[in-house]
Amino acid sequence: MTEKIFEMRHIDKLYGSLLANDDVSIHLNQGEILCLVGENGAGKSTIMKILYGLEPPTDGEIYVKGEKVHFHTPSDAMAKGIGMVQQHFMLFENMTVAENIVFKNEIRNGLFMDRKRTIETVKALSEKYGLKIDPEAKIEDCPVGLRQRVEILKILYQSAEIIIFDEPSAVLTPLEVESLLDTIKSLAASGKSIVLITHKLQEVMAVADRIYVMRAGQVVAERLRSETDTNELAYLMVGHHPALRDISAPKPGEVLLESKKLSLHYEGRDILKDIDLHVNAGEVVGIAGVSGNGQTELELCLTGLQKPTGGQVFLMGKDVTNASVKEHREGGLAYISEDRYLWGSAGEGSLAENVLMAKENRAEFNRHGFLNQAAINNYTKELIRRFNVKAGDTDQKIRELSGGNAQKLITAREIMMDTPVLICCEPTRGIDIGAMEFIHDQILEKREQGCGVLLVSSELSEIMTLSDRIYVLFEGKIAGEFKRGSIDEKELGMVMLGGKRE
Amino acid sequence: MNLSLNYLASVFNSTLRYMTPILLVCLCAGVCSKARVFNIGLEGTLLMSAFFAFLTQYFTRNIVLAVLVGMITGMAGTFIIAFFIVKLNGEPMIVGMAVNKFAQGLTTFLLQMIFHTKGTVSDTSMKGLTKVTIPGIKDIPVIGTMFGNLTVVDYLAFALSIIMFIVMYRTVIGFRIRCIGINPEAASSLGIRVPTYQIISTTLSGSFIGLAGCLLSLGSVTMFMQNISAARGYVALAANNLCFGHPIGALASSALFGFTTALAQVLQNSALKQQLLNCIPYISTILAMAVFNYANARKRRK
Amino acid sequence: MNKFKKFGSKFLEALGQPFVAILISLGIGAIIIGLSGKDILASYGVMLKGAFGDGYYLSATLQRSTALIMGGLAVCIAWRSGYEAMGGEGQMIFGALVSALISYYMPGPGVLKILVGLAGASLVGAVYSVLSGWLWEKFNVTFIISTLMLNYIANYIASYLTTYIVKDPQSRDINSIQTGKLIEEARFGKVGGLFQSEGLKNTPLGLYFKDFNVHWGFFFSLICAVLVYILLKKTKFGYQSKMNGLNSRFALYGGINAHRMLYLVMILSGIAAGLGGAFEVYGSKYRYIDQMIFSTGYAWSGMVGALLANFDPFGTVLACILLAGLNTGGSAMQRSAGIPVETVNMLEGIIMLLMSVKLLHLIVIRHKVRREDRKKTEELIKNGKEAEA
Repeated sequence: MTEKIFEMRHIDKLYGSLLANDDVSIHLNQGEILCLVGENGAGKSTIMKILYGLEPPTDGEIYVKGEKVHFHTPSDAMAKGIGMVQQHFMLFENMTVAENIVFKNEIRNGLFMDRKRTIETVKALSEKYGLKIDPEAKIEDCPVGLRQRVEILKILYQSAEIIIFDEPSAVLTPLEVESLLDTIKSLAASGKSIVLITHKLQEVMAVADRIYVMRAGQVVAERLRSETDTNELAYLMVGHHPALRDISAPKPGEVLLESKKLSLHYEGRDILKDIDLHVNAGEVVGIAGVSGNGQTELELCLTGLQKPTGGQVFLMGKDVTNASVKEHREGGLAYISEDRYLWGSAGEGSLAENVLMAKENRAEFNRHGFLNQAAINNYTKELIRRFNVKAGDTDQKIRELSGGNAQKLITAREIMMDTPVLICCEPTRGIDIGAMEFIHDQILEKREQGCGVLLVSSELSEIMTLSDRIYVLFEGKIAGEFKRGSIDEKELGMVMLGGKRE
Repeated sequence: MNLSLNYLASVFNSTLRYMTPILLVCLCAGVCSKARVFNIGLEGTLLMSAFFAFLTQYFTRNIVLAVLVGMITGMAGTFIIAFFIVKLNGEPMIVGMAVNKFAQGLTTFLLQMIFHTKGTVSDTSMKGLTKVTIPGIKDIPVIGTMFGNLTVVDYLAFALSIIMFIVMYRTVIGFRIRCIGINPEAASSLGIRVPTYQIISTTLSGSFIGLAGCLLSLGSVTMFMQNISAARGYVALAANNLCFGHPIGALASSALFGFTTALAQVLQNSALKQQLLNCIPYISTILAMAVFNYANARKRRK
Repeated sequence: MNKFKKFGSKFLEALGQPFVAILISLGIGAIIIGLSGKDILASYGVMLKGAFGDGYYLSATLQRSTALIMGGLAVCIAWRSGYEAMGGEGQMIFGALVSALISYYMPGPGVLKILVGLAGASLVGAVYSVLSGWLWEKFNVTFIISTLMLNYIANYIASYLTTYIVKDPQSRDINSIQTGKLIEEARFGKVGGLFQSEGLKNTPLGLYFKDFNVHWGFFFSLICAVLVYILLKKTKFGYQSKMNGLNSRFALYGGINAHRMLYLVMILSGIAAGLGGAFEVYGSKYRYIDQMIFSTGYAWSGMVGALLANFDPFGTVLACILLAGLNTGGSAMQRSAGIPVETVNMLEGIIMLLMSVKLLHLIVIRHKVRREDRKKTEELIKNGKEAEA
């Protein structure tokens, strides 16, 4: 009865010198929901990218329905009935939902697009699987949950039998997650076979039939859902029971950073509306919220990169609402940006050049406008050593570092600014556990020193562990303020969706 | 009254004649921008097309062949640009400028080798593109002037802008090209060979530049001179910027630049000297871009 | 030793690409010469001699390279900071015109004429350059459109002025469109007579430099190159402008004032280009002649030079001298073999095209990486698959 619909045997995958998959053997049965769990960087996305033809394996064999295959491109995989909902949606923004779904297998009338039949077909497809969409809506007007639905329909339209979901819930609100899990279950019931990549164990326990646990590129365990629980899975994922942080009681001092009725109005919309927040000395303040609810704009407004259209910002008691970034930085603010490559570094620049940023005016590096290259190099070496960055020489380019190491170096630069206020946004996005714990330690260390830290993160567990106080941002407004321990993850999730506390 | 009407009609006629080369190049620029190939080598491609079309006509006296050679030159130039940008990952800015510089060198070189001159070549016995005379219209006083002296290619240019609209916005192939331009990664994740699409679509549209080249050297006058394209390629780039790569919008934006060039022509007998009049199209290009972008940015901010 | 090796590989990487590009373009040039029925080796021989063959030709090449170097430095400053402006031509035209006019009409001693003329050229170059920066910042007009249009406009305006307003009063010839000729004292002097002391006169060195005679402008351009080198590589401004070029968002994030950066860069690059025009006037032409910048393509060759050198000031000097040599050598080739000097323009286009892609990377490095990757994989699999994370 349980027919293996695909099987991967002894897969190795090497990125440069990093072994991302190490002798991985897995299989999927017909009609089953299989979960691949593991921490960031455990290699679970890599193995599925290999199956989907996005990456060639370094070594190993793949069988689909008993037949040995070699995929060079995703379309090879698609031809064999494999589809993947990727983490970053692959959609065409200014096109309609229907157009996105039929792309590549357009419904044509000779050379022309057949709009009417396209819309009908898509409608029929969405009704068949109970995935409601408006075929004529533009993608750019669709919220994230709907976009994901379009991605799923796209794959169903290609008549895939195996559907891979890569961290599908990362971008969704809790309510959307629930409906997604229902969708997954009903897809399996209708005969599709499903692979779900995730590191959220509640989801695993809700839908999985069978589970592989991956760690450091290897499959470390295979379990049926019926014979395991979240505790065991967590232990298997991390390799040890996660240490609980011992966090001292906060000793909040005076207000260091404050915003009053901060607003941002753009293209006829309120991106931020009347934000009142403050950060005291000696506390970590978290900003929770689903991505895209104004976090990015809030950090830009607080750091001077974006001029707010209303309200005021005070830094160390001084009005800095319309001050330049330089004035913010000199006024006592350091800032780890949410996107380390877009804002936080110059990929083609050397490590030394990246470390020097915002410090080029310091007397130790700068004599009457001339730079002291030796001092800069020494300083860079010291940061690399103290923050345990795996890097070569100081003139290595920063883009050659791994994500975690680049983030460590950026964190080092900003922490060494020695400012009373630190704003850090998504400081651990997409990096491995070691680097994550290190950065968390640094943030807490900063708090111990009596500095104020504003932590913006879409990772709820990070917010819950580190913050003394939490603001919830929803649709550009503060939807609630909570002290540590006064709210649990589930309730916080409700507030993030604009709901009230139960 | 009749005189001034006639005068306006002739301005209208010059506008039409000056706008068509820009329109054709702009249509190519439109395809390039939709397919995400940043092409600033339009100018050089145009210059080479004009030259080779002229050369062919000079030696073979076969206008169809000349137009064909012009189109092939346009396609070849655009192909090189697309290939270097898409396949070899070249810096688009430098690739484009390189082709422009090469074209300048090549045309002057051949001009010297073949015609032993650095300036202008013309041959009065040579015939240019066939002029279209619509029976009946020709003799109506004002309208006759308005649509007089237009060649087949001029009419073709207008037709092409409509055809390109249909191709880009109604057919499967246009749909795919536009999708690729919006998100090449998404298209290739579905197994579309993005580079192939980009290179083929832009190369084909390069034939429009070829037609524009023919209009320059075999249109209202049959001659070739050094730098005959006179920055029209760049002006077309600006025109394409104004219409967001839309083929019908290209009609309007190239008409604007056709009109300013015509204006320089019309004012020739006024107090303004020739050199200053020559500036008008360039100044108006900057002005049009500035006004348009400024208005756009303000609209968005609201 | 290791350090030496690293320096060596860096050196190779910097020089390999331009070397290959020039070599290929010379190869294509050879094909062109061959196709036009001339002897390839003889033609290139004439070219080499006409460029660097003796002191006389070397002087011609170096004098020609002056404006190229200044145009190239202007491009270095702007492009390195992320502003792909190509307005050097227009700035040079106005620089040349303004300096020629000031030094012709202003009363006073020659030195003062030159100094004020240079100041005027700098000013007008900077203003014209800032204009395109302003159009970009305020109205979002891209540099490619604004600078190219401004080049044409500058040429026509200069042409208008020299034809009607400031035409050489002494000239009877209607066809000579130029301003008045500068007096002897208001021109750059020349450096000559190198290695001509009694002892060296008859050595090969002395014989080579016998007819060497180069105007000060060339040496001024070398000084400018040193200054630009120090500015870009050793100062805070150089650091900030480089970061701005690599990632303008990162520069903003670090507190660099983008507005100030844009205008500073535009002013400096405009000054360099404007001075380039002035040097040409004081050193070679002694007046502004209609089309003297536009038709020679100095600014464009300078840009090719800067590209070849990957925006390194000293590299730009070398590349520009080489490109100027191509041109003076090309003229010699035209005189003796009848091959038009425009061939050089074509070759410059090809060099540029080849420089647009990471040639060496495509050919050599990619293979090397692949080979190393494969080797590492095999090793890892052999060694029990221990990942070095």
